[in-house]
Amino acid sequence: MRDLKHLIFFENLLDNADNELVEKAKADGGLAIGYTCFHIPEVLLNVGQCFSVRLRAPRTGSVDIATYYMSNYTCEFARALVERGIEGGFNFLDGLAGVDACSMMNRFYEHFELLKMNEKPNMFVTHCDMPYKIEDYTVRSYVKQMKVRLLEVMQKNYGVDISDAAIRKAVEEHNEVCRIITEIGEMRKEENPVITGYEFHIICLVSYTCPKALILPYLRETLEELKKRKPDPKPWYRARVAVVGSEIDDPGLIQMIEEAGAMVVADRFCYGSFPGREVIELKDDEPALEQVCRHYMEVSECARYISDEKVQQRRDTADRLAREFHADGIIYEQMKYCDFWGFERALVSHIMSEERGWPVLSIDRLYNNKTSGQLRTRFQAFVESLEIKRIQKMGGRN
Amino acid sequence: MAKTKIKYPNPAFFRAKDNMDWKKQGENLLEVGSIIVDMLKETDWKKFGTNRLNDIKDDGRRIAEEFKTVMAMSPEEKMDLLKNGEKHLGKLYRKGAMATVRREWRGVKDTAYDYKEWLRMWGMLLATFSKDLIPALNTTFWYRWMISYMCCVGFMDKNVMGQRGSALQMSHLMIYDIFRYVAENLVLLAKGDKKNGNSAELNKKIVLFDEMTMGQIMAGFPDLIGIPYQLMPVFLVSEIDQLTCVPYIDAVESFGLPADTCPVPSSECGALVIDALPHLGSCFISSSMPCDGSVMASSYMSRRFPDLPVFHLTFPVRYEYEETVPDAAEDIKACIRFVEETTGAKWNWDAYFTTMKRFNEETKYELEKWEVNKTPYPQILGPCYELFRKWNYEMDGGMDPRVMKTFRKVNDIMMKAYERREEPWRGKMKYRGIVWSCPAHYYANFSNWLANCWGIDILVEMESLNFTKPLETEDKELALQDLARLYERMVMRRHTNGGYHNVVDELWRQCEAWNVEIIIMYQNVACKNMATLQGILDEQARDKGYRMIWIEHDLMDPRTVSRKDMRAKVNEYMRTVMKAEPVDPTLCDFDDEACM
Repeated sequence: MRDLKHLIFFENLLDNADNELVEKAKADGGLAIGYTCFHIPEVLLNVGQCFSVRLRAPRTGSVDIATYYMSNYTCEFARALVERGIEGGFNFLDGLAGVDACSMMNRFYEHFELLKMNEKPNMFVTHCDMPYKIEDYTVRSYVKQMKVRLLEVMQKNYGVDISDAAIRKAVEEHNEVCRIITEIGEMRKEENPVITGYEFHIICLVSYTCPKALILPYLRETLEELKKRKPDPKPWYRARVAVVGSEIDDPGLIQMIEEAGAMVVADRFCYGSFPGREVIELKDDEPALEQVCRHYMEVSECARYISDEKVQQRRDTADRLAREFHADGIIYEQMKYCDFWGFERALVSHIMSEERGWPVLSIDRLYNNKTSGQLRTRFQAFVESLEIKRIQKMGGRN
Repeated sequence: MAKTKIKYPNPAFFRAKDNMDWKKQGENLLEVGSIIVDMLKETDWKKFGTNRLNDIKDDGRRIAEEFKTVMAMSPEEKMDLLKNGEKHLGKLYRKGAMATVRREWRGVKDTAYDYKEWLRMWGMLLATFSKDLIPALNTTFWYRWMISYMCCVGFMDKNVMGQRGSALQMSHLMIYDIFRYVAENLVLLAKGDKKNGNSAELNKKIVLFDEMTMGQIMAGFPDLIGIPYQLMPVFLVSEIDQLTCVPYIDAVESFGLPADTCPVPSSECGALVIDALPHLGSCFISSSMPCDGSVMASSYMSRRFPDLPVFHLTFPVRYEYEETVPDAAEDIKACIRFVEETTGAKWNWDAYFTTMKRFNEETKYELEKWEVNKTPYPQILGPCYELFRKWNYEMDGGMDPRVMKTFRKVNDIMMKAYERREEPWRGKMKYRGIVWSCPAHYYANFSNWLANCWGIDILVEMESLNFTKPLETEDKELALQDLARLYERMVMRRHTNGGYHNVVDELWRQCEAWNVEIIIMYQNVACKNMATLQGILDEQARDKGYRMIWIEHDLMDPRTVSRKDMRAKVNEYMRTVMKAEPVDPTLCDFDDEACM
């Protein structure tokens, strides 16, 4: 296939948290609000003159200083963010929308303050409380947290318009991004798709890390380009996989899976498109904030949700996506030291395999994986096993 | 209207009719029998005989040596030995032995008291198990953890090592209450277990809750019994026998769980994997407490026992945000509704308020203990008190009226001892210490070793410093909010949740309040909540000039960091940094790898 026109531009945008489009938006008077966790509704960070930047620590090398503060057996993602913050990589931020959802990421937000990583006069860091289940009173609590601990802080510190109209406007722009990403994502269902899992991950990631208004023209153009893109005469992959699990913002991991011969057809992980790129349908007769909060609670696939129906939802979603996107198998992955996904992966990888009949590869991994020979070997072995299964299914014919 | 006195625990629970499947018991006995036969066949009897012979020789040598030592003593020293007991406790350990070589000599009076308490404990255990002896004893044929409980009296001995006078008396009184609670719950577990007693009548009355969930909610259901589900098979027994959780951890790691997760939920899940938990009860209350790992263990539970309805009690993590309190109270209301619907019982406000009044009074007594320990003459120290505080706060919660009596007795003894300026460890007390972060289960009597070996007296532990505000006992709505506040501040969660200040700033506040010289900073290698603050704690301790001894452990897995390794950290610090001499050099280096 021909290279996508903006792919290199997109890749470059992912080389820094403070990328070209972020700088441009800031120069135009925008306020950059960083966040990491899906529990913070992205759209709420795009009200008024604010724009959301989902934080990453690209090109992370040593995390020695962060390891001194947070020990070497804690989430590498959280540590990489602390390290990047100490290096000054998040000095561009005007606010940090933090949640107390997982203890290690919460400590990143706390170190951000404790180590005075950004001392702008109006800089704020929030620590919002997040529910574990969906009940009337937990939705109420979530809405209250978003209002008191986030929106009102933005308003107080920067005079941001947090009105219902402002939220609806942000949702509108957000929905356009979601429609484009979803349409592009749907292309992965084809037997010989015009997009690779790696390319899709790059496109999805820029939609999280760049100001929406500035990335939208590129996304629109890419969608049009893809509609006309000619696939290779024969599918390039040897197997199709759905990747399910904890945060992945490292395109190198998806690239490694695809280099092993498995196309990533469904991205059911944090920073992926499931969830995150679903259109938010707003009704006129209910405050937008409540609808937005309920939407995020309902679509969330975070392993932290403890209630039985959410536990079941996570299993059903993984199963459904793998079927809809014609996957041959599922890769269950977790960031090493992640408690939530550690428990979830161990149990559900058995359930998916034993009860739902999916071939499953179950892995834990580091934040940066590009150089992991062990992981590469495991992906290669999984692809081979999927191929063998297919051959066996076809009565020994390849 | 005359009030009927409710006996606790309700005797009807013990009288509930069992429905044992004798055929199944027979099959199990045959299986256990075949395992024993295999073990006997595989035993190297020659080596066994040699080892026993060596033990006898060793005992002979030890007795001769002890006799020689006593004979070489001056009359004053002999009198001191007679009155105050022995001072070199390291000699009680033998390499490879599961128990100490003999009981400690504490002086005439204290040894006699200790023996009396030993008898009283055995008496209570036998009487409790006799309430339904067959299923209770049959538990040993179903679950290996039950065997470890046979050594509970040895656990008691370990926890009172070196203590004399009032301190010894208080320790015995407190641990007796814990063991009574354990024994009663073991009998109920055995009766309810579908594999064992299979009492349908009792199971209707049993509400299981996660061992990390406080028990106070059950105060409003006097007709039911709440059992912290994994407490007996996992949590508590791992304090008695350091090797109990090893098979659980291995099983769940083989299943696929990463080895870096907290051993508490890992062991709970591992116990489910190898079927080490009894199957009983009418419902299960899981919780999001205290940390991320515990949240996730509930899905393993649901999968193992799909017939058990589950309620997930989830409280706000940022518990200091007052705006979250009404929603936390809503969750308690929902939990009460759930229990009512699944059991048919009705929430009883009178019973709840009565219990909470008692709990408030117990908390007052607790605060008096703290006041005494903050003075230069601390009186109530050691593992028994540490365990008692946590058990009373988390599990008993004022529900057992008998515990109130213990509080009063202990308080009387403590105040008199304070007036007499007694020393819990006579002649050994040198440094004032505080324990921060969670202690190792497999070394529950570490504070005892610190006192006996180096004279470091642990005045208080982080896990004891929880919610002390009196709970509302009049207004129903406010009472539920207070209950939510209490639950949010459960052991560990009070400090590790809600922001770093609850564990970092709080430490410096407590160090000042208790006039502490040494901080024993536990480092559970799998506790991410604490690990993510190690740099900040280290930096601030240096800035503030506190002596902080970092002691790594793996909570329930002694293979990662052994007891000996834990002691070595203290020995090294005391010798190199403090330039100190041990008060009992025989305890610096001894072998207890196999010791329970």
